[in-house]
Amino acid sequence: MTHLTQEEIILNYYREFDSAAHLESCAECRNELAAVARVLGSIEPPEVPEPGDDYESQVWNRLSWRLRSEKKKKPGNAWMKYAAAAAMLAVAFLGGLLLRKDAKQPAQIIAAKPAPANPAQPAGDSTQQQRDRILLVVVGDHFDESERVLVELTNLTPGSDDTDITNEQQRAEELLASNRLYRRTASDRGEENVATLLDELEPVLMQIAHAPSQVSADELRRMQKRVETKGLVFKLRVVRAGVRTETKLPNQPSI
Amino acid sequence: MEATDIELVERVRGGDDDAFRVLVERHSRPIYRSAYRITNNAADADDVVQETFLRSYRALASFDSRATFTTWLHRIAINCALDLIDSRKRRDGRIDDGEDLSLIASHDASPDRVVLGSEMQRAIAAAMAGLTGNERTAFVLRHFEGMPLEEIGQILGTRLNATKNTVFRAVKKLRQQLQPFTGSLV
Repeated sequence: MTHLTQEEIILNYYREFDSAAHLESCAECRNELAAVARVLGSIEPPEVPEPGDDYESQVWNRLSWRLRSEKKKKPGNAWMKYAAAAAMLAVAFLGGLLLRKDAKQPAQIIAAKPAPANPAQPAGDSTQQQRDRILLVVVGDHFDESERVLVELTNLTPGSDDTDITNEQQRAEELLASNRLYRRTASDRGEENVATLLDELEPVLMQIAHAPSQVSADELRRMQKRVETKGLVFKLRVVRAGVRTETKLPNQPSI
Repeated sequence: MEATDIELVERVRGGDDDAFRVLVERHSRPIYRSAYRITNNAADADDVVQETFLRSYRALASFDSRATFTTWLHRIAINCALDLIDSRKRRDGRIDDGEDLSLIASHDASPDRVVLGSEMQRAIAAAMAGLTGNERTAFVLRHFEGMPLEEIGQILGTRLNATKNTVFRAVKKLRQQLQPFTGSLV
């Protein structure tokens, strides 16, 4: 007698294959089906932690802001183009300043980076490395400030009255704008760790920036839990430490 | 009388953002639950909800009113959840698909499971965490949501046979992991 395959047994369990006739006459396949049913029957849906009663409103509050940004992003919005151009100019200007500063310390740069395997390596690589370092320096400061905002938020104590988070909110809003720019740049430069952390940071900054300035105890706890669940403060410290190591010149004093 | 989803979609297409708000409020909780079952993490499920509605808003023009809005939204949500899992995989730089979800699942799984205090529950969580993103999603949709394999294939963008194989692989891995508890042979 030809027995049912494992696949047919599984499909039978899910009622996507009818093998009733065979099962009736084959004890071996019946036992196999019972074994599969024992395992699959023991797997129940995980308990889903129910969000609060005002979850729907919270989703909309955060989303509506993103939808407004979405509309602003549509082609033809001159303001956004100018803002993006200004931001890029600022980064380029800062980059230029740092490059000139680096140019005065050639020995340090050579010492800071391992010697290229190929002595004929083009000079462009060195410039690229310097640009990458500039990005990391700027992003390192961004991580510092983000960490401060998140730590301050998680240190707030939810009380019976609403908590004022205006300060954190304003700073988060400022950070949010630069976060997007850095994320795109880091991603273009292949700085995957930095880009991923910026990607994770963005929705959290957004939530803080667009929450009401007075938040209820529940809302505050939810924001704190979000920061803690994602382990963002820890990740910021780890990545920032890596950034510092990569950007530190050999004779710079340790801070 | 409450407006139907399709009526609301038409209003959104006409520029009525309040209608989209009604859709968001109507569907955010079920989408959150589905996303949680795939990501096993409340914060990630929340991100999936946000991303789902953002993507659906962008894609609303291409929504075919003959289809069910709930199913369409559900598909977007599952793709968002899979994208999130993929981005985790890239971030962690893991080659072995089987390992990446253990990290994702571990965020929320441990406290809950500890409270439940059941060895079996922990074993199930660990076994589920050992599945790849596609295996886990296919299994969740088939086993927990009772979705037919053909529909799962449409969501995952795979042919029926490939979908079946994904579910088979998931079941096989789960049996192997849970064998000490159920006594069944693989």
